[in-house]
Amino acid sequence: MEIDRADGRTANQLRPLACSRNVLNRAHGSASWSQGETKVLAAVYGPKAGTNKNENPEKACFEVIWKPKTGQIGKAEKEYEMILKRTIQSICLLNVNPNTTTSIIIQVVHDDGALLPCAINAACAALVDASIPMKHLAVAICCCVAQNGYVILDPSKLEEQTFKAFAYLVFPNSIISLPSEASPKPVSEPMEHGIITSVTRGVMPVDDYFHCLDRGRAATSKLSDFLRKNLHLQTPTDPSKAG
Amino acid sequence: MAGKDNATPTTYSPSPKIQKQKRAPVFSDVDWVRPDGRAFHQCRPAFLRTGAVNSASGSAYAEFGNTKVIVSVFGPRESKKAMKYSDTGRLNCNVSYTTFATPTRGQGSDGKEISAKLHKALEGAIILDTFPKTTVDVFALVLESGGSDLPVVISCASLALADAGIMLYDLISAVSVSCLGKSLVIDPVLEEESYQEAGLMITCMASRSEITQLAISGEWSTPKVHEAMELCLNACSKLGEIMRACLKESSSASKE
Amino acid sequence: MSAVNVSADLSSEMEVDAFRRLFPLRFYERHLLESIRPDARPLEKARDTTLALGAVASADGSALAKIGLTTMLAAVKMEVMTPTTESPDEGCIAIDFHMPPICSPMVRPGRPAEVATVISKQLSDTIVSSGMINLKDLCLVRGKAAWMAYLDIYCLDADGALFDTALLSAVAAFSHLTIPVVSLNDDGRVVVSEETEGQKMDNEPVNKDKRKLELNSIPFSLTCILHKNYVLADPTAEEESVMDTLMTVVLNSSCQLVSLHKPGGTFLAYNAAVQDCIALARQRVKELQSILTEAISDMEVD
Repeated sequence: MEIDRADGRTANQLRPLACSRNVLNRAHGSASWSQGETKVLAAVYGPKAGTNKNENPEKACFEVIWKPKTGQIGKAEKEYEMILKRTIQSICLLNVNPNTTTSIIIQVVHDDGALLPCAINAACAALVDASIPMKHLAVAICCCVAQNGYVILDPSKLEEQTFKAFAYLVFPNSIISLPSEASPKPVSEPMEHGIITSVTRGVMPVDDYFHCLDRGRAATSKLSDFLRKNLHLQTPTDPSKAG
Repeated sequence: MAGKDNATPTTYSPSPKIQKQKRAPVFSDVDWVRPDGRAFHQCRPAFLRTGAVNSASGSAYAEFGNTKVIVSVFGPRESKKAMKYSDTGRLNCNVSYTTFATPTRGQGSDGKEISAKLHKALEGAIILDTFPKTTVDVFALVLESGGSDLPVVISCASLALADAGIMLYDLISAVSVSCLGKSLVIDPVLEEESYQEAGLMITCMASRSEITQLAISGEWSTPKVHEAMELCLNACSKLGEIMRACLKESSSASKE
Repeated sequence: MSAVNVSADLSSEMEVDAFRRLFPLRFYERHLLESIRPDARPLEKARDTTLALGAVASADGSALAKIGLTTMLAAVKMEVMTPTTESPDEGCIAIDFHMPPICSPMVRPGRPAEVATVISKQLSDTIVSSGMINLKDLCLVRGKAAWMAYLDIYCLDADGALFDTALLSAVAAFSHLTIPVVSLNDDGRVVVSEETEGQKMDNEPVNKDKRKLELNSIPFSLTCILHKNYVLADPTAEEESVMDTLMTVVLNSSCQLVSLHKPGGTFLAYNAAVQDCIALARQRVKELQSILTEAISDMEVD
């Protein structure tokens, strides 16, 4: 059942995480996030006045610009932009700054697997750095499924290509403080079990997907601890916006 | 992630028709047969239907033999922001081809020229004063190109405009004629168009006997032009009748 | 909150159409309370679906799919290419999804709509990763020639569930596909072998017995809206614009998960909702499968 990973990690082990905020001085908020060799830089500009065409002016609007490491933007990057935009829209408070546009620029520094989750984590940290009002943070993870249903977390590029299927999952981070309002509906599951975004590729049995969900949820609690600690560390004066 | 798609290899169509120009034009004799077996002065059977696209203000689908087009009309709606104030309405036309419209993939024209012609043909029939400051968009998609694309697009567009309730002086019908050797053929198919020595297209408002556009290409003698125009005008008025019947049918169907 | 109260008071004295335009969310939520949708569908019911094969004469395979009012035309054209050195015995599929300006008031001519690019990518990922087509079947002469299948899907009318309709038209176009019989000519190019009158074909056809593509485990999809505790199957464009949490489940014929796509949205998907969607998708796969089989058998009768 065990799978030997090239870098000697166990199935549940994530690559070393690193996050630093306020790395760019011109942007209103910025962050770099790396998971092992994969590294992404995110910059946030805004909110600036006015919304783009076909957007709802009664809400805050977001645009995501994806810059690949080399070459031009293709279909895959367009898809990433769309997923990232929708994910950000769902975690931000859209009623606070209506009729404004906030731009998020994602620069891929190096891609070694789990690129989109890494970009989502980076964007999230950059949004906090820019003090964009948010409902909660999001943490993203990639799970790979092997032929026998075995799940590994945070794959490298090579693992992503050799495994038969993978899923990118985004969950809300676990809330430590009491929820401010009464939760909208009586859910049996805690909020951090809800999926914000799910993108999968490759054929897998339905049970394997639920297996991925469980493993992903377990791992994201570690990720969100890391994110929270990092945000607290760098904002000693203003811890309120972290979560 | 199959990121290979950026390196698309060069491909070619295995169909021999495109590679060698087969069948030298033999149209000089009088008794050749048209590729689809029609008489020289016989149009292809026309199928017209309005209301093909639900999300548009008005739309129509036209099928003349293998030529299939859809036209959607949007508006009158807000003009582009860059546009200056105008106390008459504006007309905006765009024609595009599907990649499978032509025998070889992706060889359809970009539609710029045909868009401009469509605009000119329709402009004269629309009562632009009825929608000041706004724009009516006429968008056409040629699903399959089987010859005489422009006249079919124009006729279909006028039907779509009527379906959208845009005020018109009259319906516009369009027909083209090709001159091949000594003979004139009406409503030419793609093959005939590619061998034609001269072509003529008339778009007209049949019940007002007004021509909105006349396009002539190639070398014509005066009697030939007269003959061709007669042919076209005749066919236009018949096509106009069919279009009117189609509109009546759809309006009576919606009343029920 | 105040807007909600105002709308509740107004609803009794306002015309239905005005209420629908002014308070779309309230309008839908009132319907949801009664477990019905404005178009009289129950929440979990998909719209009427039709499929017609062979709609485009100039293509090698084509299909017109309609789910409700959403209409898509898909056509496959086969061209010949030289396979890459890494996979000398494999052909290739190129999938493109187009939204011409005729399909929706939101699309203007010029730059392609952003949704179109994203759906295009999703479609090719789904079709390629589902393993429906064995690329080795597209090989003609190993290392020399292979088929490149160009699949182009045009949206003719956009009224929600674009991905579902596009995928249905795509798989139908592939199942209608008849590969032309070709042979190698003297220059080593691949040409269609035509049976000229009486004369025997000079060159032996290379693919006489491979006229149809074998499709294994065809993928089908269902898009659902998640709104609070409700799950609405097969949304219309209006529903998609009012309630923004969408989840698309793609299952293959043996009910394995090909893709589960949920890009953000106001509401979170909990296990129960995911399971509901997958269960609805399972039913829908059966429906779509029988619609496809019926369309194919209709084709054979003609």
